[in-house]
Amino acid sequence: MLNRLEKEKTGSTPYILFDADQHYMKFAGESFHENVIEFYGEIDSNLGEYMATDFGKFTFDCELTYFNSSTAKLLLNMLLGMDDAIAGTDKEVIVNWITTEDNDIIIECGEDFEEEVENIQFNIIMK
Amino acid sequence: MNSLLDFYRFVKDKDINIIYSGPIWSNGVEGIGDTLKRRLEFDDLPLPTSQAVFSVFVEQMNNMLMYSAEKFVAPAVMDEKQAATATGIFLLSCRGKQYFVQSGNVLRNDQVNIMKDKIDYLNTLDKQELRKFYKQKLREENDNPESRGGGIGLVEIAKRASSKIDYSFERYDDAHSFFTMSVTIE
Repeated sequence: MLNRLEKEKTGSTPYILFDADQHYMKFAGESFHENVIEFYGEIDSNLGEYMATDFGKFTFDCELTYFNSSTAKLLLNMLLGMDDAIAGTDKEVIVNWITTEDNDIIIECGEDFEEEVENIQFNIIMK
Repeated sequence: MNSLLDFYRFVKDKDINIIYSGPIWSNGVEGIGDTLKRRLEFDDLPLPTSQAVFSVFVEQMNNMLMYSAEKFVAPAVMDEKQAATATGIFLLSCRGKQYFVQSGNVLRNDQVNIMKDKIDYLNTLDKQELRKFYKQKLREENDNPESRGGGIGLVEIAKRASSKIDYSFERYDDAHSFFTMSVTIE
């Protein structure tokens, strides 16, 4: 497992950071590359390994301003993976879904995802 | 049409603001998307409107990448991952506060009814039902890792559209049809 993974944003992929030592992950920007599975693959597998460790408390700041439906599918998958990983443990995952009042797509998706997870503390935060 | 002037007049008369016709590949989508965003900035729209137009564009492009029967191969400029390239046409027309986002591509005839049924079904749903259906599709796709997510993009388009998704299938050749999708956003 890589302890730290960081990618700068491009025209169709967001800034992503995963830092196991800081127990922190952040996505920011737009995500609409056609092949999102490949883009998020490395971070997704690292996150999976990290979730199996005894990490205590993990925070994910999601500050995406727009994402396509393939990204939505991947994000939900990631969230459900984390939700399962902490079920029945005392590990904590906090997701801060950070957006603005006028961002309908992101707010709507955040509300839908919040309903899907059971163990994650899911906060929708308006900047 | 003999001259570019005729074409220009035709395009102007139809309120067409952006036309793209040719190969469609990931990095190309990014480039056209950038042009589209800059064009929408002119109109100083509320975020939900410009986002809706952009989102429909992104999902239409993705749909063409998946279903266009015409492939465009340019190995000299593309690496292996990008070689899977489609061909299609995209139009943005603006009439007052109305935006028409259209895509067109050649489709295998055996795909016609599948596409038609999907859109017809989405057209029966209202916004709340679409939201529920979208969530349901996301979950279903999660249970099916092999899926490339083809159905979800159309649901996203239906969610963003201000009216029903308009479409047509015209004969292209014996084995293919030309699929046009028109989405209105207000």
